[in-house]
Amino acid sequence: MGDAVASLARPARPYEMDFALVGHQESWRAASDVLAVLRGPKHAPLPDHEIKDIFPWIPPRAVCQVEVRSLAGAKARGVYIDSFIPPDRLEARYVHENLARVRAAAAYAIEAGAKIVSLGGFSSILIEGNLGQLPAGPGTVFTTGNTLTVAFIVQGIKKMCALKGRNLRRSTLLIVGATGDVGSGCARCLAPIVRRVLLNARNVERLEKLAAELEADGVEAEVATDPERFSGEADLVVCAASLASPSLLLGRIAPDAIVCDAGYPKNLSQSAKLPLATVFFGGLGQITAGMSFSPDFRGVLNRHPFPDVAHGCLLEGMALALEGRFEPFSQGRGGITPKRVQEIAATARRHGIYLAPLYNADGPVEVGLDRTSGPEHLGADDCAVAV
Amino acid sequence: MEPIIYPSCSASECTSLGSNAPIWQDILAQAVTGELLAAMNYTSLSEIARDPRELADALEHAQGERGHAAAFAAEGCKIGVDVGNNVEGKHWKRLREAFLGCSKKRDFFGCLIVQEIMLESFAVASYARVAKVAPGSLGATFARIAAEEEDHVDHAMAILRAERDLDAERFDDKVHRLHLDVMTTLAKMLAKECKDGHCEVCHGSCVKPALFEVSLSAAALRGASLQQYLKTLDRLGLPGEVTLRWVTQLPV
Repeated sequence: MGDAVASLARPARPYEMDFALVGHQESWRAASDVLAVLRGPKHAPLPDHEIKDIFPWIPPRAVCQVEVRSLAGAKARGVYIDSFIPPDRLEARYVHENLARVRAAAAYAIEAGAKIVSLGGFSSILIEGNLGQLPAGPGTVFTTGNTLTVAFIVQGIKKMCALKGRNLRRSTLLIVGATGDVGSGCARCLAPIVRRVLLNARNVERLEKLAAELEADGVEAEVATDPERFSGEADLVVCAASLASPSLLLGRIAPDAIVCDAGYPKNLSQSAKLPLATVFFGGLGQITAGMSFSPDFRGVLNRHPFPDVAHGCLLEGMALALEGRFEPFSQGRGGITPKRVQEIAATARRHGIYLAPLYNADGPVEVGLDRTSGPEHLGADDCAVAV
Repeated sequence: MEPIIYPSCSASECTSLGSNAPIWQDILAQAVTGELLAAMNYTSLSEIARDPRELADALEHAQGERGHAAAFAAEGCKIGVDVGNNVEGKHWKRLREAFLGCSKKRDFFGCLIVQEIMLESFAVASYARVAKVAPGSLGATFARIAAEEEDHVDHAMAILRAERDLDAERFDDKVHRLHLDVMTTLAKMLAKECKDGHCEVCHGSCVKPALFEVSLSAAALRGASLQQYLKTLDRLGLPGEVTLRWVTQLPV
């Protein structure tokens, strides 16, 4: 895959390329749908086994153009570049292959002339916050997009607590994947406003470092590499772990907990038994002035039950492009502060990019909303949930 | 059809590959056929050369491809198998006709696109893949020839890029037309099953289901070939999102 980087050369686009979104598919179903759109309606969909044979061989490249509009009247144009990481190859043993794919996708974005590049899903996790691992291009900057993801997770937690009549200040918060870029950002934003904080991650040194940082700000935090070992039960959970597939079971939490699954791929296993808990997918925003794809990948690249919804990490690049602010806003592991979260949330809001309606695998979770609901059904207060 | 001179092989040179020898025999037969077809294509190209240098290059390449065919046949001798060839086999014949369609119109660039971009992408990728698993000198020969074929692509790239710079839209349309013909045929050749019947090159039944016995697979050969093709089109400057659609629409 690596030699693809050096070999890229293509003509200048007929328009300025404001942004590029680098992503990958989280399931074979999603990968199949992407290939079905590429093949077009005249060609029969490929059987699953053919998709699994073909997909790993596709080099990273643009699959469609994207245009995003601002409530303030601005437009930004870009491309969605898929790294074509096979959905079943997100595990650590494929890290070198996947890193080469992310680098090739980054090189593609540079060649396309993108001014800002958002790294979606595993793309930023793979480079472990070290944007220096990416190829350099004059006039192109990279952002992990994680700051806006944190903003939407925090907004989602607050909104769901409000909807459920839950008092945040009396809550016990568990963050799974707490030492990652997104997890630590959530910890900094949410820890000061809850009663108790439980931090879970695989690396004990990083956990203790984060706990010490929070304690310096007056917040006491318990840490554990095994979530079963916490002394208390969490009634508020943020799942922000970098898992290759949904495998989190969450055995020891309050039965009626609010659970925000912010993973991509999702963290929660389908066999997680949480019958009384309220689960929602976090980190998602909605572009109220709309976005369009050419060719039309609506509902394929953004597989959500509401229109114009995307992950915060991708929306960050679009918001910054609409703002004309081409800078590496989110640079990697551990640098997300409440102040930066507020700043990017305000930037997104200026352009009509708000927290998306909350939903989970069964559909919308907000009372009174159904799958046909769009942004017009959101009240002003819902959109303006502050960090 | 171009003649091929089979090397005389002595028993002492033979290295037995046991039950896998018939598999290598068919792989080599496909390679020899492809090289002979390339030699024929370059010979045809020499007939429409626009200047003495193009003529010399085409003839030199034709000679080189005949040498590759002979080298593959010699590898067959070493493992104790006779390596056949059949440029009239249904897929190879169709590929030759596509090339002749260009040369008859004296479409020099069309000829280069078919041979250097499409057929050589297939050769470079599949030979490199075979080289990784083929034993001894057989692997070394596949690797050497893959590298030499890659040089051909590099040579053509500069010529084709200059042509594309003159009128990218017209050039890309031409590539697409040829893609629909040539790459569709190659995709059928590389499909996991030969849905249109025997390819007329394998000496017995189709070799593809047995490829796993030598650590190969039709799926991997097809994937590697199409990946190489996409990268070659990238180097030419064609938009990646467009060529991706072309490739995903090929038959499987």
